[in-house]
Amino acid sequence: MLKPTKMTRVMIAGTKDLMEPAISTLHRLNVLHISDYSEENEDFKIGRPLKNASRLSEHLLSLRAISNQLGVKEKEPALKQSSGELPSRIDEKISELQKEVSSRFDDLRSIEFKIKEKEDLVSSIKPFFGLPLSLDDYEGYETLKVFTGYIDADIEPNISRITDKYELITGEHEKRKIFALFVPVAFADDVQKLLQEERTYVEFKVPGLKGNPPVLLDELTKEIAILKEKHASIKSELENIRKEYSEFIMAADEYLSVETQKAEAPLRFATSPNAFIIDGWVPSRKYDEIESELQKSTGGLVYLTGLEEEAKEEEIPIELENPGPAKPFELLINTFATPKYGEIDPASLVFITFPLFYAIMLGDVGYGILIAGIAVVIKNKFKSGGLNALALILFLSAVLSILLGVIYGEFFGFPLFNVEVKGEMEYGLLGIAGPAIAGIHIPVHRFESVQSLLLITLLIGIVHIFLGLVLGFRNITIEHGLKHAIYEKGSWMMILLGGVAAIAKLMPALMSKLPVQSSDPVFVGGVGLAVIGIILLIKGEGFISIMEIPTLLSNVLSYARILAIGLSSAGIALAVNTLSMKLFIRPDGVLLGGGIGLALVGVLILLIGHLINLLLGILGPGLHSLRLQYVEFFTKFYEGGGNKYVPFGYNRKYTEE
Amino acid sequence: MDPTQAGMVAVGAGLAVGLAGIGAGLGEQAIGAAAVGAMAEDEKFFGKGLLMTVIPESIVIFGLVVALILLFVF
Repeated sequence: MLKPTKMTRVMIAGTKDLMEPAISTLHRLNVLHISDYSEENEDFKIGRPLKNASRLSEHLLSLRAISNQLGVKEKEPALKQSSGELPSRIDEKISELQKEVSSRFDDLRSIEFKIKEKEDLVSSIKPFFGLPLSLDDYEGYETLKVFTGYIDADIEPNISRITDKYELITGEHEKRKIFALFVPVAFADDVQKLLQEERTYVEFKVPGLKGNPPVLLDELTKEIAILKEKHASIKSELENIRKEYSEFIMAADEYLSVETQKAEAPLRFATSPNAFIIDGWVPSRKYDEIESELQKSTGGLVYLTGLEEEAKEEEIPIELENPGPAKPFELLINTFATPKYGEIDPASLVFITFPLFYAIMLGDVGYGILIAGIAVVIKNKFKSGGLNALALILFLSAVLSILLGVIYGEFFGFPLFNVEVKGEMEYGLLGIAGPAIAGIHIPVHRFESVQSLLLITLLIGIVHIFLGLVLGFRNITIEHGLKHAIYEKGSWMMILLGGVAAIAKLMPALMSKLPVQSSDPVFVGGVGLAVIGIILLIKGEGFISIMEIPTLLSNVLSYARILAIGLSSAGIALAVNTLSMKLFIRPDGVLLGGGIGLALVGVLILLIGHLINLLLGILGPGLHSLRLQYVEFFTKFYEGGGNKYVPFGYNRKYTEE
Repeated sequence: MDPTQAGMVAVGAGLAVGLAGIGAGLGEQAIGAAAVGAMAEDEKFFGKGLLMTVIPESIVIFGLVVALILLFVF
């Protein structure tokens, strides 16, 4: 918590014949973060992959191709396959699969091509339905040229001017006029020119078929149906193959990935003709484990040493270490930047503040329940990874929102408790007055207590920013010493506290238009503290840093968004409710007085309005709560820029060691 | 407070939020466009882009604070 895992640098050296067992042990342990060797010199070169590497990656490639063709999807395995059995059958099984799948895929492609061809023929035959000729009649003349096409104008007079030896047959297809024109070859060019000048002329080619169009169409349709049937049957065969081999493919994919990873590992080592050196990092608590396991698997012939000497901080890989519920919040930290080794890891602080800000913004029992539900669905669908973490974050935030919703007394924007607003009774869904807890009368009506809520949110902001400065103070003390910390962060703390004290005294006086009591010790002390802070700041960071002081004010004011987003969310809900209720109930109080139609419109408005507000309710509070962490909080202490800890290994899902 | 004055205060509060909103919108358009551009290159920028896009929204918050002070103080 608060600090990344402690790491120890490990150097492993041995003779080359021990490389393979060492790699498998390290891979199985899945704890060593290997530092890639890159500075080649005369004695040590970058290692070469193990000899089976190319065979393995070839297999992997063809397996992935098959899996792509079949559309194999990842799913939870029913049973893990032992990787002891896999390699013995993997070769023959992959080539067997390849044979079955690729021949079927070729068939599929050729059938699809044939279907396309026939369908093209069908569409080219169709226009000829409108003409009373068999398809053979259009072809095979030596002295005649045939023109066929759509045309709107009457071309007969123009043609008779060219020649009187012609035969024109006209008809109709899909409400467009069509024609077939037979002229002697000698006049073909002239007729062609004439037709081209006609704007409405669209040629259609005569398909190279014989017979009556309707009969042909019948035949073609039958052929297409047969082809489609064949297509479907091959598809279902492939589907069966997919079902049968799915688990094997996933397992083999995993096995091959693991083996390729192992085989290519030497690319990250330093090797001489006879020896190898692995340089890397392990979490300090795992050092003993890695040592004993390595010695066991190599018969104690590998030399291993943990270096306690200081390394450059940037080189140390970072593994964040947080207790269970705060774990998902590491995602938010890593999205911003991975911390450096010596830095505070703020995940467990964000674990408290993020859901809190979110809940104060959303604060609605109905939305809270719905969003918690959505989060549970997402969490069940994605068992690991970023979405899973996000769902957990959302769930925590939503649960807290339900609590805040009770305090605000809001359920989808409807009042939960009876409450008096501006002298009028507002009746809540529960039909009872809210309880009073610890002197606070529930519900705290958001629109009625804007002023006090604004103060509370600003107070939250001041505390949050101050906390950030304290963490910054700690970071700089460790990195550069106390003096720097006082100049850089201590000065800001003084300005913040002094400024807050002074403004707290100043504002009420200004609001009630009274003169400020300049002898008030709090006011004087506050101003004094702020001035000392400014002097320290100038001394530490130069005169220009005065320009930065207003950002402190804007940072604090920024927390007013906690109130603002909340008000807008509650406002939209209220607007939707008021609108739809007016459609349900006539102004004189008769239920459904406006008729069923209006009531249905009301239902529609209610549903769509709340759906939009629900989406906004996930996005708005989430983003703004995150922004407060990133922009207002993190900038006070967080630098980031660490290297993420990526252990050499694999999280097996489908196979066992 | 006479009604005219109250009305002016309300108009002022409205302007504070409204104009600040326009300003934030102008700021966001450039960021939004750039964020979409970055996402087209690499979808992993979605989170960061979304976050960058809401940064100018602080200006509206300042407008809102001014509006609230206007409404409650005067």
